[in-house]
Amino acid sequence: MNIQEKLKILADSAKYDASCSSSGSIRKSKDGIGNTAYSGICHSFASDGRCISLLKILLTNCCIFDCKYCLNRKSNTIKRAIFTPEEIAKITINFYKRNYIEGLFLSSGIIKSPDYTMNLLIKTMELLRHKYHFGGYIHAKAIPGASAASLKKLGSLVDKLSANIELPTESGLKLLAPNKETSKVTKIMQYVKDNKNISYVPAGQSTQMIIGATKETDKDIISKSEYLYHKYQLKRVFYSAYIPVNKDKLLPSLMVPPLKRENRLYQADWLLRYYGFKTQDLLDNNNPNFNILIDPKSDFALRHLNEFPKEINTCSYKELLKIPGIGIKSAKRIVSSRKIFTLQFKDLKNMGVVLKRAKYFITCNHKYFINPEYFEKKFIESNLVLEDKEHINNTNKQLSLFE
Amino acid sequence: MKQTESIYIYENTFTSLLSLIKLLIKNKIKPLDIKNLNYSPTLLDTIVNPKIEEKNIMNFWTSKTSKEIIKTTYYIFLSNNSEKELIIYYFLLNSLKYQNKIFYLRNLNCVNKALKISHQVINETHKFKGFTRFKELKNHILYAEIAPENDVLDILSNHFKNRLKNEYWIIKDTNHKILSLYDKHNFYIIDNNNFKMDSIEATCENEEIEKLWKNFYKTIGIAERKNDRCRMNFMPKKYWKNMLEMSDEIEKNS
Repeated sequence: MNIQEKLKILADSAKYDASCSSSGSIRKSKDGIGNTAYSGICHSFASDGRCISLLKILLTNCCIFDCKYCLNRKSNTIKRAIFTPEEIAKITINFYKRNYIEGLFLSSGIIKSPDYTMNLLIKTMELLRHKYHFGGYIHAKAIPGASAASLKKLGSLVDKLSANIELPTESGLKLLAPNKETSKVTKIMQYVKDNKNISYVPAGQSTQMIIGATKETDKDIISKSEYLYHKYQLKRVFYSAYIPVNKDKLLPSLMVPPLKRENRLYQADWLLRYYGFKTQDLLDNNNPNFNILIDPKSDFALRHLNEFPKEINTCSYKELLKIPGIGIKSAKRIVSSRKIFTLQFKDLKNMGVVLKRAKYFITCNHKYFINPEYFEKKFIESNLVLEDKEHINNTNKQLSLFE
Repeated sequence: MKQTESIYIYENTFTSLLSLIKLLIKNKIKPLDIKNLNYSPTLLDTIVNPKIEEKNIMNFWTSKTSKEIIKTTYYIFLSNNSEKELIIYYFLLNSLKYQNKIFYLRNLNCVNKALKISHQVINETHKFKGFTRFKELKNHILYAEIAPENDVLDILSNHFKNRLKNEYWIIKDTNHKILSLYDKHNFYIIDNNNFKMDSIEATCENEEIEKLWKNFYKTIGIAERKNDRCRMNFMPKKYWKNMLEMSDEIEKNS
């Protein structure tokens, strides 16, 4: 099999992993080639609009496991391939040199045993770091069931090390991934958390959950994320809308991947990590799933309308963060600016506040953007939904110009 | 400050502009405009071409304002905005008064404009850190062409100087008609007219690698999630011309 065909098979098998982030590491260039950028750099965007930052491939798509949702499961009759560590190192260096990529994201099916696979991953990283003196970004997937010794070795060579939790509940995992156990994945997370420092997995760890393959609610998923962030200090949890690659009576027969749901989960995830929200602020047993029409932050504001409108010039930083349309950056800018002068609506626009959403929930110098009589739930809700729809319609129109 | 009807001329460099502005502020002059040597005056213009002292000018401005302010000013200087000199003048004038508080004074029109322009330049530079594509020439030099709107080659070269420090590379900015040459120690930015390249023919291995990359690009997109709008948003068409992986799509569209 030639190298072109191998790459095609092993990139195709890796593409369902959502993570492609290259941020969070400061690796200065030494004698060899490459460094990392703390902010991360996107080198291209794929036809699905996702950022391409890393060469995302599997070492092999051979696997001794038979997870129902996975393209590479043992019982599938597909073309199998395996890269040698040298081949991976050479492609990585050649891509990096031409500035196609920020680094490597290497994962693998399990071949022979977890530690046998881990050793192949380690060998690849050693080649890259020591033979080619590669200083760029490396994200490796740890294999569930790997020994502490191999985790120690692999983690010392990479920027990010992660293990996928796959499904938010043990029962979901049992159903679809009978060979996987949550405890094997959390063992890896615990090990990385306990050992993380500047030379061991400096960019931290992340994980991924598949959305829509099992019956879990958004509340199950977001609670799980909250738990993982808290317990293992994960950098990110990624959500991957389930795409039916296999037919199995245990799997739902979705035709379209639940992309909007995935989007809502990402929005909620940011609210958990940076905006001081808790799962119970966003969802409860009566509303265990996100509103598909309205983003979680606006939805929260509408349910707590008695706390609004907030006065931009006096409310606290924490309160600013609860306002739809105001992000971390603009909240900080507001706090610094209002010490110097009194903010008006137009100043907020200049700072990058999304007034389209924020205007319903704020006053500037005690003025509401229209007659304050309109400050009521129905009016705001219908306008928020309407503006979203208009946005979608407009962009569709623009697109048709290209066709 | 005294408003004049004169247009002041500087010698195209950043230091020369900073020196001129120092001179103007010292003499309490508000210029009608500031232009570089390439400016062709109309009959009605009054042109002033003052003698400029450039010594220690960077130190002067950093001590009077701050590193962040001068950095922002430099980004504005690199932009293709036709009013950038006057914007820099007013930004610096206000910086003398407000110091680093200036970054929060978006209610002042000149500050708001200045910060927006500097942000655009930073943004474009960041895009090209990702979107620049090198190919390996027969003499093993890495060669790339870019066509940025702003003059980002200097900042971009600094990035690649750290990243590809043990390679020889050349980046050509076809919009501004300048090149950056890196000799494993420093980079030199020169005028396109002063440099001739014998050939930009790539190695055979290069072709194989390019094929691998195109192959990877096509494979990594998930068909069920196809989203042109989202891709266009992050990677507008103006960048495609020099991006290897987009060459097939450009052909398909035309």
